[in-house]
Amino acid sequence: MEVGGRQLTLTNLDKVLYPDGFTKGQVIDYYVRIAPVMLPYLTGRACTMVRWPDGVDSGKHFFNKNLPSHTPEWVDRVTQGDVTYGVVNEVATLVWMANLAALELHVPLHRMADDSLMPDRMVFDLDPGPDTGVQECCRIAIQIRALLDPLGFSMVAKTSGSKGVQLYARPPVPLPYGGDGGVTAMAKRIAEGMEASDPANVVSRQTKELRHGKVLIDWSQNVAAKTTVAVYSLRARATPTVSTPLTWPEVEAGADGHVLSFTAPDVLDRVDTLGDLFGLPGDPP
Amino acid sequence: MARPVWNGTISFALLSVPVKLFTATRPKDISFNQLEKSTGGRIKQKRVSATTGEEVAAADIVKGYELRKDEYVIIDAEELEALAPRDAANDRVIQILDFVDATQIDPVHYEKAYYVAPDKGGARPYALLVQAMTAANKVAIAKVVLRQKEYLTALRAKGSVLCLETMYFADEVVDPNEIDELAAAGPELNDRELDMAKMLVEASSTDFEPAKYTDDYRAKVMALIESKAAGHTYEAPALSEAPKVLDLMAALEASLAAAKAKKSA
Repeated sequence: MEVGGRQLTLTNLDKVLYPDGFTKGQVIDYYVRIAPVMLPYLTGRACTMVRWPDGVDSGKHFFNKNLPSHTPEWVDRVTQGDVTYGVVNEVATLVWMANLAALELHVPLHRMADDSLMPDRMVFDLDPGPDTGVQECCRIAIQIRALLDPLGFSMVAKTSGSKGVQLYARPPVPLPYGGDGGVTAMAKRIAEGMEASDPANVVSRQTKELRHGKVLIDWSQNVAAKTTVAVYSLRARATPTVSTPLTWPEVEAGADGHVLSFTAPDVLDRVDTLGDLFGLPGDPP
Repeated sequence: MARPVWNGTISFALLSVPVKLFTATRPKDISFNQLEKSTGGRIKQKRVSATTGEEVAAADIVKGYELRKDEYVIIDAEELEALAPRDAANDRVIQILDFVDATQIDPVHYEKAYYVAPDKGGARPYALLVQAMTAANKVAIAKVVLRQKEYLTALRAKGSVLCLETMYFADEVVDPNEIDELAAAGPELNDRELDMAKMLVEASSTDFEPAKYTDDYRAKVMALIESKAAGHTYEAPALSEAPKVLDLMAALEASLAAAKAKKSA
């Protein structure tokens, strides 16, 4: 079939990829329909695919960074070291990846436009420990927002699509990854500061110590080599949940105990009525 | 900066034009937040059952079509999903059905306007379509599925740009004869009265310059907001004087120290 002017051969569309019966055809359909809002957040970024060729139930998956040898010529790519990543600049690439059973797409915080590697946001991956969940993550997101808002950061939260919440913050001035005032140092400092002021509920280090009843503020994804699940990406769970951007009233409702979990059809409905919620002032076109 | 709201293909006979749609109009209504008078706190809306008065979780809300008062048919989301218009094999297509004279379309049909831009590889067929339509002075009538809803649309050339106007279907347009005041036959007029009226219309005729007409009410409301904001002591953070990187780190340290002090107090 033809997608966005590219010829694609789609295979095994009836194959069930999710335990609830969601098929590869439905995965592809979701990505086609979400593409208008999703593509701006993939454009120009080295993309890591998480592929589940035999479905979620099989447990078999692999992180696919290097493009396979059979990749069509028209797929945009970027080479770093000895790895050639795909770059999702158009809907056809998204469909091609979905056809490889790449349920999840992960991207870094920067575009590949030049060598300066400027991240356009910071990310705090709020990961709930045992006996905590989205509710506690929402509370922490609100506290980080209260801390950073007066400093001129703009922020938006999304569900991870799994158990946690990810808070994205754009600093008031563009910052590099490294250096004293870079996003790596700043994110680490924010996480440590949050832990220091609320040690009963927050940890900032991935330790083997008991994380029972606490939320880990994982700041370690604020480096060039790391990736975070892309907004609007499906997750490999029992049902086709999506990493879904949230309004702040929703985060507040989440902190009050409302369930914040959205599947592919929910997210398409949300985009219909709410539009894209993930944008921040100053996003690149 | 503008982002496409849709991309797909215009399809007509052997012509296939990859395109993106951008919204062509941007309403500038002023929006207000609802606040509690005494505290200034934001007002939150809860969905509450009219029967029990209890709050209802989103998962427990279904759609009901009211047949007659208080009598509903429940329709599942899945049932609607099954009926949702979908292009065969996910081809996103603006299917041109007919070409008509623009003057034959009553403007009452027009709903919302989009600019159509050529996507990768579409520049030539796009220009071809625009010029052919301009030369023939025709407007294309097309169907397209946007956001799971089927739309009737008109594609027209505006200079070198193609515009797409979504349109109301014929059964969505109110027949003026349904309005009693319009259905009655008009009064008899004599020629002298009519000539006079025509002369008055002619005398006030001019070219349409849309920029000449402005939203005076909006301007007054904005002026009111600005005058009230000016008397306010709150200062918005000056983004133009962005702090230096290390200043930001220092400001962060100060905020963290304040947060910690507040917590342990």
